[in-house]
Amino acid sequence: MTEDVDMQPEAKDTDWIKITSTDGFEYMIKRKIANTSGTIRSMLDTEMNYAEAVSRVCPLVQRGIIVEKALEYMAFRAHYESLGPKEDIPVNEFLERLPPEIVLEVLLAADYLEL
Amino acid sequence: MASTARRGKTKIKPPRKHGQAFSAEKTWAELANNIREIQNHDASNLSFEENYRFAYNMVLHKEGRMLYEGVKKLVAENLDMMAREKVIPAFPTGSINDPMHESQEGDIFLKALRGVWDDHVSNMIKLGQILKYMDRVHTKTDKVPEIWDAGLHLFLKHIIRPPIQQHIVSAVLNQIQFERDGYSINRFPVKGCVDVLLSLDIDDAGVTVYKRDLEPAFLRESEAFYKAEGVKLLESCDAPEFLRRVESRFESEDSRTHHYLSSQTAPPLRQILQDNLLTPHLSTVISFPNSGLDNMIDTEKTDDLARLYRLFVMVPIGLPCLKKSLKDSIARRGTEINRTSLGNDGGDLDIGEDAGSLKRKGKGKARPAGGGGAEKLTLALKWVQDVLDLRDKFVAVWQMAFNSDREVESALNEAFESFVNSNDKAPEFISLFIDDNLKKGLKGKTDSEVEAVLDKTITVFRFLTDKDVFERYYKGHLAKRLLQGRSVSDDAERGMLAKLKVECGYQFTQKLEGMFHDMKLSGDTMQAYRAHLAKTTPPSIDLSVTVVTQTFWPMSHSPSPCVLSAEMEKACKSFEQFYLSRHSGRRLTWQPSLGNADVRVAFKAKTIELNVSTFALIILLQFQDLEDDGFLTFTELQEATRIDDNDLQRHLQSLACAKYKVLKKHPPGREVERDDSFSFNADFTSTLLKIKIGTISSKVESGEERKETRDRIDEERRHQTEACIVRIMKDRKHMKHNDLINEVTRQLSGRFQPDPLNIKKRIEGLIEREYLERCPDRKSYNYSA
Repeated sequence: MTEDVDMQPEAKDTDWIKITSTDGFEYMIKRKIANTSGTIRSMLDTEMNYAEAVSRVCPLVQRGIIVEKALEYMAFRAHYESLGPKEDIPVNEFLERLPPEIVLEVLLAADYLEL
Repeated sequence: MASTARRGKTKIKPPRKHGQAFSAEKTWAELANNIREIQNHDASNLSFEENYRFAYNMVLHKEGRMLYEGVKKLVAENLDMMAREKVIPAFPTGSINDPMHESQEGDIFLKALRGVWDDHVSNMIKLGQILKYMDRVHTKTDKVPEIWDAGLHLFLKHIIRPPIQQHIVSAVLNQIQFERDGYSINRFPVKGCVDVLLSLDIDDAGVTVYKRDLEPAFLRESEAFYKAEGVKLLESCDAPEFLRRVESRFESEDSRTHHYLSSQTAPPLRQILQDNLLTPHLSTVISFPNSGLDNMIDTEKTDDLARLYRLFVMVPIGLPCLKKSLKDSIARRGTEINRTSLGNDGGDLDIGEDAGSLKRKGKGKARPAGGGGAEKLTLALKWVQDVLDLRDKFVAVWQMAFNSDREVESALNEAFESFVNSNDKAPEFISLFIDDNLKKGLKGKTDSEVEAVLDKTITVFRFLTDKDVFERYYKGHLAKRLLQGRSVSDDAERGMLAKLKVECGYQFTQKLEGMFHDMKLSGDTMQAYRAHLAKTTPPSIDLSVTVVTQTFWPMSHSPSPCVLSAEMEKACKSFEQFYLSRHSGRRLTWQPSLGNADVRVAFKAKTIELNVSTFALIILLQFQDLEDDGFLTFTELQEATRIDDNDLQRHLQSLACAKYKVLKKHPPGREVERDDSFSFNADFTSTLLKIKIGTISSKVESGEERKETRDRIDEERRHQTEACIVRIMKDRKHMKHNDLINEVTRQLSGRFQPDPLNIKKRIEGLIEREYLERCPDRKSYNYSA
């Protein structure tokens, strides 16, 4: 899961963004999904043009398992965001996939990521 | 994030502490360094995540206040630095007396200020993102403003301060003044600067620096400028130019507030313009000699008038001022028209016109006007035409320039009403005008043209208060048109009648319609009579009779006496018999004065058919049995015919002194005297086979006749007033004096404007005749019949 990172100034929803964890995991997500986190959105803000926005790599100081859960939630949220109010969002299904051991850590990460 | 409370089956491990030992000072030192880097526009080398984590950690470790204060200090330092390096060096020197140079300096200064602002904003946004966690957590608990607002506050404190503050205001004002003086400026920096001031609140109430510093100064300056400008324009321009300039000032100020000031300044600025540039000068401008309202209307400057209207409606006193000027203008023009119509009783008119109108009169038959009847008619027609033209002119102005404003319309109508009614001959003139159009009608004009003219006439008619006077004249004219078959088109007549009916209601036209009805019945009667004659021996002459109902027609009730010839007498008798056999119990009265006759006269050269009035025929018949060149004196003729003095004189004049001289008068001359004598002019000849000899208008003094008409109208009004009072009282039984007067006035105003004094007299008359009785309180009446 690697991709060439070029210096495209244009920011598109379909751009791939790399998220890295402290223990060496790398995750590729679409910019649209990345933007559900306020913190990551600020990182990628091309107007401010921090190093992350240039390289499209966002290092997170979290363990891979936490990052994965956070990203999973972001994807989950991006998927159901556009849903009408009548449709059922399978929240429980997601909750069941969340191991209780890491719940608090994920919670902290979520706070950090502005989820 | 979803809830973590999950049944509690499994043990929830505490999160692992990440990061090593935390040192607030060390973190801050690094962060502060990075912030300076950001302020130097060097963000792309920095990791956002890192800085965000610094701020996050500091807040997490309860060092939020240190972070917050530290950032504020850094921002303040940066602002001070920028003020020192960028703003202060750009201060306009203000020492040079060259407006162009001054404007450029202002431009540079404002640009610099804007640059500093832009820099500050961009920095604050970047910092805001890094410090987002602080804003979310720390500022709320510590009850301090978010870093963005703190940044604005710092900007206010470090940049918008004396002397920079004063320089900003004066630079902006200078630029505006420069533009007002007609130069073009670079609006962009001004706008940029104004936007900055607009986005800076000085307190929680939302009062901006713009509102506090710039706007009052700007408005003060504007007021002074426009006060002087108004006086200056008034001295140097004529009215249209003044209005043009003023309007362009309004537009440019509008565009100014719109483009580079705040829209909240627009209303007070507009007010200043109105108060200083417009309101004090309105009446001066509108009455400018040679270029004011009058002149614009004369020269049909629609654009200028439209502009005048646009400007005048802006201010409250504008419309009344415009209305008054319009009224004055109309009144002046109206008085002029009235004066020309009354002023000269002939004499002023040149010969050509005189001859033309004489001819028209020949065909046109008698007017109620006297003396110079022809001139009178021309004047009457001219008067109406002038009024119509004037009205057309003002209506055109009203429609094109005044946006068809209702208030202006009512002012126009009032003005017309007052001057039309100030001419007490107006009803007669209007009726004459209609008469003329309906008679000449098709000659030279199409039906629709006549229709249009009549439509317009109705609008003038609407202004009349004495509609009953008009009715009287109209009836007279209509009667003559109908009896003498001079009406061009029955449709036009009926159309006119319908218009009057719409204007004044059914009662007004009842009698007029009766007249039409009589004409139709007469036609039927004549057909039946002809059929009847075909079965018996017809009398030697052909007779056509119009039977009219006395009450509908405005004819004098006593027929003028005359001696008919035997043949005529026989024919009349024959019809009388026929008519009375069909309608028993009716009484026929002959009105020979209204009739006319075709008669073949054998002159020496050839036989010519003459169409003359019945009276003229009777006169001619007197010469039938006379040998050639036999004379008859005026007195002899009168004895033989028994025609009234005046009528005889008139008809002799038309036979002997007009265009076709069928009789010779001795001695010759234009006027017929009582001791003249007449002989048949056997040498008379003409290229025509049929000649119509009109009757010269009666020579009765117009004043006397007018008086008579007036008296008759007064009498009619008395009757109408009484009838109206009785009608009202019969309905109400009891009424207060004032209420009664009001009600009567209201009901009668459709026909004429009753005088309260006359109403009172009529009430007294009715009390005498015991229709009404005075109540004991002496203020109200009872109906007692």
